[in-house]
Amino acid sequence: MAAASSFNATHEAITVRYNSVDHAYAEQRDIRLLGFVLFLISDVVIFSAFIFAYLYLRNSVPNWPPITKGGHQLPRFDVAYAAINSTILFGSGATMHSAMESWKRLDKPAFNLWLLATIVLGIAFLGGQGYEYHSAQVTWAGSTMGASFFTLTGLHGFHVFIGIIYLCVLYLQANRGVYTGSKYFGLTAGTLYWHFVDVIWVALFFLFYLW
Amino acid sequence: MEGATGVTASIEKSIAFVFAIVVGGTTSFQLAKDWKSTGLDNQVTKLLLGLMAFGCILVILAAVGVLGGV
Repeated sequence: MAAASSFNATHEAITVRYNSVDHAYAEQRDIRLLGFVLFLISDVVIFSAFIFAYLYLRNSVPNWPPITKGGHQLPRFDVAYAAINSTILFGSGATMHSAMESWKRLDKPAFNLWLLATIVLGIAFLGGQGYEYHSAQVTWAGSTMGASFFTLTGLHGFHVFIGIIYLCVLYLQANRGVYTGSKYFGLTAGTLYWHFVDVIWVALFFLFYLW
Repeated sequence: MEGATGVTASIEKSIAFVFAIVVGGTTSFQLAKDWKSTGLDNQVTKLLLGLMAFGCILVILAAVGVLGGV
């Protein structure tokens, strides 16, 4: 009877301690998550500032693409090529989501596979963007169209570059036991960041290539 | 820039169309699967997945020539 009582008391103490640790983690996680979402919103503000500057410049001239001093109209950007590059980036968003879901299922091999696929697709997107810069018929200083294009897509490309580094760090951390099946805020933040980068590209794709 | 030949552009459009169908379908499936999940991170993820699926629709419309004048 005494042994059973002692066992119950110990069990209760362990349960209380375990739950209090989890509650502490959950509270900390919620605060960090809120902070990260606020960071993403602040990034939206930065992109919005540049996008509205682009809209202002675009509406301040009678023709778009603008006509140069030489009298010829600048060509539109290559929509077909950008469409392929866009699907590569959107595809990386889908693989990142799969990586996150794999982690939640505790399927580490699948997680590694999907995360590496995301990194490869991100690098492929940057490579495609680099090729487009190389073959572009506008320059940064040559026109408002070129200045807007290189500034906004460059800012986005920088975010993708940082995202790739972020994902590489997450890959290393996940394989060194930093995250567990119940504590993986870094992976959640990485997934949100990568989705955010994808969604910003939706706006840029529409503004520069479709409109 | 718009220097691609007609054949090249057609091939690129076709590839983009197929990719967008695959990625858009996958994203929509993931969104439907997570639809009932709760919590701030899941809500933001659903919003972003939805916008990504919208991006795939834009690519499809561009590939078939409805948008962008391809």
